[in-house]
Amino acid sequence: MGLSQKISRLRELLEETLKILYYYRGRVVFSFSGVALGILSICVIVTTIDGANKKAYDIFEALGPDAIMIFSGSERQHTARERVNTLTVSDADLLQRIGGIYDVLKVYAVRGVNIKYLDRKWQTQVIGGTENYFTSFTWGFQSGSFFSHEAYENAEAECVIGAKVNEELFRGENAVGKVIQVGQLPTKVTGVLEEKGGATHGPNIDDRVIMPLTTVMSRLSNERRFLGMIRLKTNRDVDATIEDIKMVLRNSHGIPEGSEDDFMTRSSKDILQFVSVISGSLFLFLGTASIVALVVSGFVLANLFYLTIQERKKDIGIRRAYGATRKGILLSFLFESVFITILGGIAGVLLSIALEGVFEKLFNIPMEFSFKVVIFALVFSFLTGVLSGLKPALKASRIEPIEAIRG
Amino acid sequence: MIILNNIRKSYFVGERELPILKGINLEIKQGEFVILMGVSGSGKTTLMNIIGLLDKQTEGEFYFMDTSVEGLDDEALAGFRNRHIGFVFQQFFLLPYLNAIENVLIPMVYSTKEIKHPRDKARHLLRKFNLAERTHNRPSQLSGGEQQRVAIARALINDPDLILADEPTGALDSKTGNEIMELFRMLNEDGKTIMVVTHDPKLASYGRRLIRIEDGTISEDITT
Repeated sequence: MGLSQKISRLRELLEETLKILYYYRGRVVFSFSGVALGILSICVIVTTIDGANKKAYDIFEALGPDAIMIFSGSERQHTARERVNTLTVSDADLLQRIGGIYDVLKVYAVRGVNIKYLDRKWQTQVIGGTENYFTSFTWGFQSGSFFSHEAYENAEAECVIGAKVNEELFRGENAVGKVIQVGQLPTKVTGVLEEKGGATHGPNIDDRVIMPLTTVMSRLSNERRFLGMIRLKTNRDVDATIEDIKMVLRNSHGIPEGSEDDFMTRSSKDILQFVSVISGSLFLFLGTASIVALVVSGFVLANLFYLTIQERKKDIGIRRAYGATRKGILLSFLFESVFITILGGIAGVLLSIALEGVFEKLFNIPMEFSFKVVIFALVFSFLTGVLSGLKPALKASRIEPIEAIRG
Repeated sequence: MIILNNIRKSYFVGERELPILKGINLEIKQGEFVILMGVSGSGKTTLMNIIGLLDKQTEGEFYFMDTSVEGLDDEALAGFRNRHIGFVFQQFFLLPYLNAIENVLIPMVYSTKEIKHPRDKARHLLRKFNLAERTHNRPSQLSGGEQQRVAIARALINDPDLILADEPTGALDSKTGNEIMELFRMLNEDGKTIMVVTHDPKLASYGRRLIRIEDGTISEDITT
């Protein structure tokens, strides 16, 4: 058989399959939508897991693999959302002396501060940070720059605003050099941060005002001693450094042996681990759902197909009488079943693209759509088609023409 | 064209042998118009199935176009049927999801023969059988006689050597039945070899050779 003949035969097969599917459309719709749903959920899993991984990687990158964060309050207090201040400025100075530590960022945040520019009002968190805040977080500016060294030393009222705050107070106006009211304090804006975005849950990372730690402590909150967070960078092993940190802090806070820490440490590793746990449970949940959907639709397809074959016995008999081989019958029925599932698969992929935004909002997880997903979906739908079509197709191929066409 | 030597066919019910054909000797030549007549249970359908390569004899020799069909596998038999035989059935057996011309073209799907412009040929056959206006109608939109004419066009599309018709008038009223038989006569005059299997004695007069089968043997073989 020549190539052109093969192609024209394939076209005939395709045309015929379409006519058959149209004729039996009532059944086809069932099988088709089952597969589409199954594939849809597979797409959602793959894209969300990819999304979660990408997000984890982004966080990892942003924090730096060598960063360690220490928060005030024990793990238990954090879980209970109790806010206590246990870390002190002098703790930070102690920690600075641990070998390998080369960057210490001290942070004290005040939440729910009213800010105002002209008649525009907004409520945000004000973060007091040391001068290394922006370099430590590798956070760039869309305009202006960070507050001056003098401002830090003298606790002057200068600030840098996040993109969200900029939008709320200035709405496109140039903010640099303007004076806003932070609480009761008139404060000069020295810079506007680049938008980070991406955070789909928790507070908006761009919704913040950053001021010198000295200013926040002395002029905004009247807090001279305690810190909310200390962020360190080390060029030694992260886990070993954390051990050292714990020792130093427990010692300085006078925590007896056997009692829990009154602080909490986090490294990038913890965040990666956390995200992998989340994506693991997502995988488990959605994975089960989609496998169930696919298996059920596979069974529905197989059973409806099986019934159809009884009805199409004469059809098969006449084809066999006119020269169709067993193999030919087998293949045409398999083709039909795979055709339905591939079609369902494509519909599932398209549906998942269409619903991407909805799912992002629903699950609070960014989705990362990729070509891989399409391949994944097509392979799965192909397999469903072959597996559920095999038994009916075998049955069809075993029908003897004389029994089929007997009056 | 067809030679049957002492063909026997039995079915086995447990240990018991149930003989259907008890030694059939028969030769059919190119261009004949044979009526194979017998009451139900006489073995005529079994004989037709064997001649049509849809069933296998238990014993005896069968030559189709000078080829022994003994030991041919499924694929070879399918090819043989496709090239050499056109089937017509009592219940027409048109495929419900295809229109008239698509039904006529069914054997072409499995054909390895060089048929030039099969669609034109199908159209030509439909016109010849007064079905030109029915070309794109589904079987459900056709009368019984029309359906059987479509089925005959389907039997002819691949230029078979033999037309095998099993009770082709059985589902039709007698007037339409006669029209169908006239059609076979016309095809035979054009040179087609035709074999009609029936239990209806009224059809006997259409053929040029009448073979009567009774209880698994040929009881009468008259050429007129």
